[in-house]
Amino acid sequence: MSVPSKTLSALMPGDVSSGDGRKALLAEIDASCRVPVLFFVCSGLAWLLLGTLLALVTSIKLHHPGFLASWEFLTFGRVRPAHLNTVIYGWSSQAGIGVTLWLMCRLCRVPFIAPGLATVAAVFWNIGLTVGTIGILAGDSTAIEWLEMPRYATPILFVSYALIAVWSVITFRLRAERHLYVSQWYLLAALLWFPWLYATAQIMLVMEPVRGTVQAAVNWWFAHNVLGLWFTPIGLGAIYYFIPKVIGRPIHSYYLSVLGFWSLALFYNWNGLHHLIGGPLPAWMITVSIVASVMMLVPVTVVAINHHFTMWGHFAKLWHSPTLRFVVLGAVCYTLTSLQGIANSLRSYSEVVHFTHHTVAHAHLGVYGFFTMVMFGSLYYVLPRITCREWPCLGLVSIHFWACALGLFLYVVPLSIGGFLQGLAMNDASVPFLKVVEGTLPWLKLRTLAGLLLGLGHVAFVANVAWMLARVFGPYRRPVVALLTGVETPAVVGK
Amino acid sequence: MTPMFLLMLAGSMAVPAVALWALRWAMRHGEFAMQERAALLPFDEEEPVGRATDIILNQRTANR
Repeated sequence: MSVPSKTLSALMPGDVSSGDGRKALLAEIDASCRVPVLFFVCSGLAWLLLGTLLALVTSIKLHHPGFLASWEFLTFGRVRPAHLNTVIYGWSSQAGIGVTLWLMCRLCRVPFIAPGLATVAAVFWNIGLTVGTIGILAGDSTAIEWLEMPRYATPILFVSYALIAVWSVITFRLRAERHLYVSQWYLLAALLWFPWLYATAQIMLVMEPVRGTVQAAVNWWFAHNVLGLWFTPIGLGAIYYFIPKVIGRPIHSYYLSVLGFWSLALFYNWNGLHHLIGGPLPAWMITVSIVASVMMLVPVTVVAINHHFTMWGHFAKLWHSPTLRFVVLGAVCYTLTSLQGIANSLRSYSEVVHFTHHTVAHAHLGVYGFFTMVMFGSLYYVLPRITCREWPCLGLVSIHFWACALGLFLYVVPLSIGGFLQGLAMNDASVPFLKVVEGTLPWLKLRTLAGLLLGLGHVAFVANVAWMLARVFGPYRRPVVALLTGVETPAVVGK
Repeated sequence: MTPMFLLMLAGSMAVPAVALWALRWAMRHGEFAMQERAALLPFDEEEPVGRATDIILNQRTANR
């Protein structure tokens, strides 16, 4: 991989310490990120819309089972895993990768190295996803949760990921800023953990399946860790960058942030088996998982304290910054979903909520309330900089936020309550199962309403992004990144 | 023991090994020692500490 000597010379630490050099470098970094980051983000948004549509179909089927039931590819058993895979690998992963690429360049103080490599990776990722999603809808699902894509699709995804990993190693090695910020610890760890998780699970569950109950253990080890060791570090890395950046204040305690990272690395990996409480596994395995889940109080509390005290005195800025709104909401949801997860891992609580809609609410509070909200906030910050265009419609920004926030509330709160009641009813032998199912219907209808609100928010966001991109290709206007800082930046980008 | 099992075993041992190596690398390179400097890494001359960015909504009241 060759890097132009001019670029390398610009990357030396001495250069970034000079004021003019750093200014030019920031603009250069943003411009260099444009194609690969936009590719990941825009394709991620397309998958988000498809995933939302599939989610709505799935949700409606739960209270109107006959809905679209005459097409076999739209039956619940296919649409639901298609929704899961499109939002996990299509939207969340691609948005996460896009934000990670930008953050890595910014924090390493280097322009995007080999953008063609990352763009090819994005192309492969989308090909693999398309093949996988069609495979699921065609009935080729592996029936393994979170790994439903058929085995002929996953190698394509892995090639893509390998290219991203190569890119991240090169960028890290060529970094101009030698010292690492805590966000880089999180991002690099995520880039290391994901291939380990994905390859291990693919080999042990799809290619050479292990036997019996070990399959369930591996499955939940993987599924839980995709959230905890892939999405969580990317989300937390973004939060640790964007909150200080937006309010103009360093993180409250850098020491706590480092402690949070290493305690997450130590404890999270053990958590997955608490999903199998009551299952036919050795009790000590479950107990170890429960202990590790409770120990997650350490990183979660540390992160919550750190974010809260960083924001202290700056909460009024939530009215003015879309990035801060989404990121802070995501940070709050991270604390809530983590505490809820710790409660769910306890045997006495799990006896009630396991196999209920409460678990579904918990998963959405994590993947949507935490990760997706942080990604939305991050994109509100990143996209104007890499396109050098303002958000064209601030009204759409407000619609996006309030529809998603209200939709999230309407999704998580009723479904958590409904799921808990469902669990109590299922544990009561005097209640017929059909009564339990009928009792969930009002909560499931509310869930569909929540899904409609979330869909409205997504459409508003995609419309705003599309409008912004249309302006990129339109007549040139004076750079307006002033909206971000109050100070116009030099017209060095793009045109 | 199949080759795949051995591969999994090696992989499982490699990840904690990498983590330990990263911890040692961080300690040797002063990553835990210069925390005040590290906290300032997101900032620079163009966007220094004390300057809020991304203030785009409700701008009438933003400067109060």
